[in-house]
Amino acid sequence: MASGSSDDDRARFASVVLPHLADAHALARWITGNRSDAEDVVQEACLRAFRGIAGFSGANGRAWVLTIVRHAAYTWLGKNRPAALVMTDDLEAAERNRADGACDGPPTPETALIAKTDAARLESAIAELPVPFRETLVLRDVQGLDYREIADVTKVPIGTVMSRLARARGRLMASIGTDKP
Amino acid sequence: MSAPEQDPRLLVHAYVDGELDPAHGLEFERQLAAAPSLAAERERIEALRRVIGERLPRESAPPALVRRIEAAVGLAQPARAASRPSWRALAASVVLACFIGSGGTWLALHSGSADTTADLLVASHVRSLMASQPIDVASSDSHTVKPWFNGRITDAPRVVELADEGFPLVGGRIDVIGRTPVATLVYRRRQHLISLSEIPDGHDTSAAPRTIAGYNVVSWNEAGVNYWAVSDVSEPELDAFAKAFRTASSG
Repeated sequence: MASGSSDDDRARFASVVLPHLADAHALARWITGNRSDAEDVVQEACLRAFRGIAGFSGANGRAWVLTIVRHAAYTWLGKNRPAALVMTDDLEAAERNRADGACDGPPTPETALIAKTDAARLESAIAELPVPFRETLVLRDVQGLDYREIADVTKVPIGTVMSRLARARGRLMASIGTDKP
Repeated sequence: MSAPEQDPRLLVHAYVDGELDPAHGLEFERQLAAAPSLAAERERIEALRRVIGERLPRESAPPALVRRIEAAVGLAQPARAASRPSWRALAASVVLACFIGSGGTWLALHSGSADTTADLLVASHVRSLMASQPIDVASSDSHTVKPWFNGRITDAPRVVELADEGFPLVGGRIDVIGRTPVATLVYRRRQHLISLSEIPDGHDTSAAPRTIAGYNVVSWNEAGVNYWAVSDVSEPELDAFAKAFRTASSG
C-alpha cells in the first residue's frame, strides 16, 4: 500500500497512467516476448510511475508511461535474457555495412504477399526482429507514435529512429513478402 | 554513408508516416515519380502498415493486472458491484487531474463553456478505454448503430461508414455531458479508438483546446451540431478522420 501518497497523486495516476495500460502491456509483451513476464514488467513500471507522478510534466502521458515501461522491460531483459541485449551496437554497425549492398541481393518482396499475411505469421516475424528494431516498429506501426515521441521513448536521435524503422520494416517485408516454406 | 535526412531509402518511410514537412513532401513526390523502385517500396511499406493495422489483434490490459495495479497504488476497487460509483469518482478525478495537470496556461488562454465540454468528452473517452467494453452497441454496420440510438436520445446522430478511408466503425455509446445524454460513435484506427460525439447545440468550439491530457481533440460545427473527435491517434490522423467524416456525411 502506498502510504504517504496523496489523493492528488492517485488522481493523477488514474488519469495519466491507467488509460495507457493496454499500450504498456503490449509494449512489454513485444519486448519480453510473453504475456506473464509483461505483466510483471508493467506492474513494476506502474509502481515506478506512481512514485514519480508528481514530477511528470503533464505534456504527453502515453510517451511518459511507455518510457518507464520500456526501461523496466530492459531491466527485465538484462536479468533474464542478457543475450537479447548484448549485440545491439554490433548489430547496427553490421546492418549499416550490409545495407549498402543489400538492394541487389535477396529477391524483392512482393506487395501482394505482404497484403495476404495472416496474424500468426506477422506476429512471429515481428517477434524475430532484434529488440531495437522490434520496439521501434511496434511503437510506430502498432501504437502509432510519431518519430519525435519514439526518439523520446527510446532515447535515441530521430535519425536513428528512421534507420531502425527502415531496417525493421525491411526485414519484416523480406520475411513475409517472399515465398518461402 | 549519406545522412538519414537525405537517404531516399529512409525518406520513403518518413513520407509514408507523414513525417515530412510539406516542402520536403513535394520534393520527395518528385523523386517517387522518377524512381519506380522507390514507388514500389512505398507501396510495400503501405501494404505492411495496413496489414499490421488490420490483422494484429488489439489487446486490452489483463483485468487482473489492472486490479493489482489499482490496489498497489491505493485506488482500491473492492467489489465488482461497486464499480458504477467508482467509475464516476474516477471520471471526476480525471477531469480534476486534467485541470491540475495542464497547469494554468490554457486555462488562461481558453475560457468558456467549450473547455468544459472538451474536458468531459476526453474524460468519457478515457473512461471508455478503461471499461471492458468501450461501446454500448458493437457493430460495424451503420444501419445497426443508428437505430440503436432511437428512443435513447432525442436527436439521432449522423452515422457514416469510413472503413474505406481506414477508420472502420466499431459501434456507439451514450455519454453524459453535464446532464445531457450525447450520442458518441466509436471508430478504429489501427489499434486505437476514436470517439466522435455529436452535440446538437450551436456554440462556437473554435476556442477549444487541441490537446487535453495527451489526447488530441478536433471539433467542428455543421448544421447546428457540434462534432467532437477525441483520440490518442496523432493530430494529422485525427484531422484526416475529421475530413473523411465531413466529406462522407455531406455526400
